Amino acid sequence: MATYKLYYFNGRGRGEAARLVFAAAGQKYEDIRFEGEQWPSHKSEMPLGQLPVLEFNGVKLPQSISIARFLAKQFNLAGKDNFEQAQVDAVVDTIVDLVNKFIAVRFEKDEAKKQELGKTFFAEEAPKQLKNLETLAKLYGKSGPFFVGNQLTWADLLFYDVGESLLGVEANALDNFTFLKQNRAEVAKLPKIAEYLKNRPATPF
Amino acid sequence: MPSYKLYYFNGRGLGEVSRLIFTVAGEQFEDIRYEREHWPEHKAEMPLGQMPVLEVDGVKLPQSAAIARFLAKRFNLAGKDDLEQAQVDAVVDTMYDLLKAFLPVFREQDEAKKEQMTKKFFGDDLPKHLQNLETLAKLYGKGGPFFVGNHLTWADLFFHPFLETLLGVNEKVLDNNPWLKQNRAEVEKNPKIAEYLKNRPKTEF
Repeated sequence: MATYKLYYFNGRGRGEAARLVFAAAGQKYEDIRFEGEQWPSHKSEMPLGQLPVLEFNGVKLPQSISIARFLAKQFNLAGKDNFEQAQVDAVVDTIVDLVNKFIAVRFEKDEAKKQELGKTFFAEEAPKQLKNLETLAKLYGKSGPFFVGNQLTWADLLFYDVGESLLGVEANALDNFTFLKQNRAEVAKLPKIAEYLKNRPATPF
Repeated sequence: MPSYKLYYFNGRGLGEVSRLIFTVAGEQFEDIRYEREHWPEHKAEMPLGQMPVLEVDGVKLPQSAAIARFLAKRFNLAGKDDLEQAQVDAVVDTMYDLLKAFLPVFREQDEAKKEQMTKKFFGDDLPKHLQNLETLAKLYGKGGPFFVGNHLTWADLFFHPFLETLLGVNEKVLDNNPWLKQNRAEVEKNPKIAEYLKNRPKTEF
């Protein structure tokens, strides 16, 4: 029987996509959460000194997106064939492009600059990438509420989480994006996800 | 038999890994290269207004890593099972982390700022990421010269052109990383790659 351990901080951040995949699949795993002060003592145990790390049957795997893709493939949430999986990957890459720009804003130390960057991000960059996501959904979604192939994939789960972070900073971030709003609603409706969201710890990030 | 078209600029950049995958696999594809001045005419034809784009039997797929992974899986260059594929993905993600650190340096126009950024990149970011890549190779490479599983995968094919660009900026970048140097030499020994490298157009990037 396969064993899964997920190592991350006690928060959503870059670990939540994997947790959502486990939840959607109804798969048990050890959800190891390090508090900030514990992390330095564990850093050298991780291949790249970073989190998240997935330990699968004793083998450690770094890199949040690779982890989520691997789990999705294990649990049939990656796309039904090679080409669909590639479409899912393209959607995910576009979500990651959005996240990376968002993180640059969030990690800005200077408060005034952070406000300024945030304004620009939500006025320009975010709408551009969100529109790109809707374009891909139109191309690959077969008219369903999910990004690819008219079924749930890890792209929807990743977007659910990223959307949460965006909305936490700017409540109107998705107002002009009907498909994306509806996509998140569909994900939240899924019984296993609804249950997971109800019970997961509330964390600052 | 599927038809493949790869659309990119006339350069290596983010398109070259896919060209190398086609080459190693001995597969035909239409290698469409747009010069910078012609790109604006074609931008609207691409799903996200970006390149590279792969067109498979008329369906367009954006995002360089999604494209390369799809082709690698098709042509058995992705890793022999799900876990190996995840290891390859993690290696490639680490290369993209390095690329993301490099691009702002490469693009900086202000001479003084560029010099400062270049110093930091070559002094800090680069050694750290190269070390990470060697760590993963040690973990996943089964003692061989390739990053994962003791056989050629698209991780090796992504690394080769990327480092060509970095070596063009600073020929000493791999001097402290003999394993990585040897990895590139092994890729060049592949007969199809050797032939391809001899004949490919010389380009600025």
